Amino acid sequence: MELFLQTIIDGLLIGGLIIIVGIGFSLCFGVMHIVDFAVGEWVMLGAYAGYLMVRTFGHDPMIYLPVIFLIFFALGWLVYPLIFRAVSGKRHNPVIMGLVFTFGLSIIAKGGALSVWGYHIQSITTWLSGKGISIGVVTVPALRFSGFLFGLIVTLLFMAFLYKTKFGIIIRATAQDRDTANLLGTDVRKVGAFVYSLYAGVTGMSGVLIGALFSIHAAMGAKYAMLAFFVVVLAGMGYVPGVLVAALVLGLLQSFFTVYVGGRYTLAALFLVMYGVLLITPKGILRRGI
Amino acid sequence: MEVQAGKVEAPSVSWMWRFVPLGLLILIALIYPWLAVPLWVRFATEILMWAGLAQSWNIIGGYTGYLDFGHGAFFGVGAYITGIVMLQIGWPFWIGLLFSGVLASLLAMVIGYPTLRLRGAYFAIATWAFGELVRQIATILNVTGGADGMQLPSLLNDLFFYYITLLVTALTYLTTYLLLERARFGYKLLAIREHEEAAEMVGVNTVWIKIQAFGLSAFFPGIFGGIFAYWITYIHPDSVLGAQLTDFMVVMAFLGGIGSLWGPFLGAIVVQLVQRILWLVWGEGTFYLVIIGAAICAVVLFIPNGLIGLLEGTGLFSPRESLNQLKKKVKW
Repeated sequence: MELFLQTIIDGLLIGGLIIIVGIGFSLCFGVMHIVDFAVGEWVMLGAYAGYLMVRTFGHDPMIYLPVIFLIFFALGWLVYPLIFRAVSGKRHNPVIMGLVFTFGLSIIAKGGALSVWGYHIQSITTWLSGKGISIGVVTVPALRFSGFLFGLIVTLLFMAFLYKTKFGIIIRATAQDRDTANLLGTDVRKVGAFVYSLYAGVTGMSGVLIGALFSIHAAMGAKYAMLAFFVVVLAGMGYVPGVLVAALVLGLLQSFFTVYVGGRYTLAALFLVMYGVLLITPKGILRRGI
Repeated sequence: MEVQAGKVEAPSVSWMWRFVPLGLLILIALIYPWLAVPLWVRFATEILMWAGLAQSWNIIGGYTGYLDFGHGAFFGVGAYITGIVMLQIGWPFWIGLLFSGVLASLLAMVIGYPTLRLRGAYFAIATWAFGELVRQIATILNVTGGADGMQLPSLLNDLFFYYITLLVTALTYLTTYLLLERARFGYKLLAIREHEEAAEMVGVNTVWIKIQAFGLSAFFPGIFGGIFAYWITYIHPDSVLGAQLTDFMVVMAFLGGIGSLWGPFLGAIVVQLVQRILWLVWGEGTFYLVIIGAAICAVVLFIPNGLIGLLEGTGLFSPRESLNQLKKKVKW
């Protein structure tokens, strides 16, 4: 029973972290129909940015989160015009061009990180590391819990932004029908740039948390790209509220498989689940995707 | 074979200009091992293998328009099947190769039956997941040696591997030429790529055609995987099932020009030469990844039809005209 409860807690906490990676990714697909293959590399770069800041300036990595958000927002703003170019104009198949372009970006980022930092594994420690809160029979690790809280806060802010502000309405309108939104006077390109930058910023921040929780190395991106893909497939591509449910389901699945079946079967099992979902209900478990 | 499905021959290109360069290329390929030093024979074997792999990706990714981001899985499956057939059953290499090709192809058809219904990004992600799944399974199973890998009997004969790779690559290109450039099958694939609903409406059995194309495109990586396993003699999940395999196939096909017969060949030569020259100059490194990534981004941004698209229509005899043609093709 204790193990069971602990497994649930761990699963939910992991799910909270996955939300942060998945939410920007999902919005990005919903608004611009871009599947960003470089999502894992944004996480990796965010983790390295956090690591470098701690090494250079000291202090706790958590206080650098806003700075990292701004840095990655700016990076996203710089990269977006290129992506926009890749998916527009007289291309045979814009979706494919976008996929391949971001695929190229991910290779650049991975190769660059490997060249600069090599294969060494780094880590970030914060004052939360190793601390835990005991509730009855289960222990809640403080760092994971703060990651989970952070994920929830980011999600709520995202939702509030999307559903309660005027700019959010513009974004949702663009996601629903690009051409009509464009006709009604929305600068689709600017909306895209903003969404992409927002996504890059949030994903970069998640990298710091992930770096503090797990380890940092140049090839870590693939794992988080996988999780982001799983989440959007489960949630239904482009359906932002689904990310919340999907990430928690995924976190639970992962932690139950690790505890009750064995760690090395976890990824294979997740793949099978994702595969099944793609085949049975391509619009996600809530059937609300595009 | 000559005139099928109403294909109109380009009148300006004479028979001579088509086949003399090809004959020369084949002749050079045949005598090459006697002209070059052993290291460069190995490099050439790699280039040929990659040219074949990139072409096999091109069949599903370029001609059919379905981006397969897990194509490396078929290479790995081929490598492991040849290894298992030779080690566990004790049959000769040739039979292992045959099994590799046929089983990789069957696997693709089984996987393709459900996944080829998915379009665009969904297919890309599903195949990518499939590739990772196969790698995971290879690290778990006992028959594959898990993460420790598998040691095959060794045959230290670079000439043998050069010629067998040359043979299989030539077969890959010949098959692509005959089936995709010169037969109805190829036109059906193009119709699917350009407008799937329309193709279905005019009576193309799209699901079955796509499954056939996927099976065909997986056959060759299976065989190359078998050759690679016997050549390298030691295989493990990261070397024959790693993500970099698919990365390279996609990059080469795109750089050369997808959906064209010679594009992947050109892409494979360029990418592999750049990688190997960097390797000779700087030793083992990872910086080539940055260059390759930048190359693929530049191709998407400026020359979506690839290098081969730049060469088309540039006559050999008028530099000025060629330059003008070239300028039109680069999208600034």
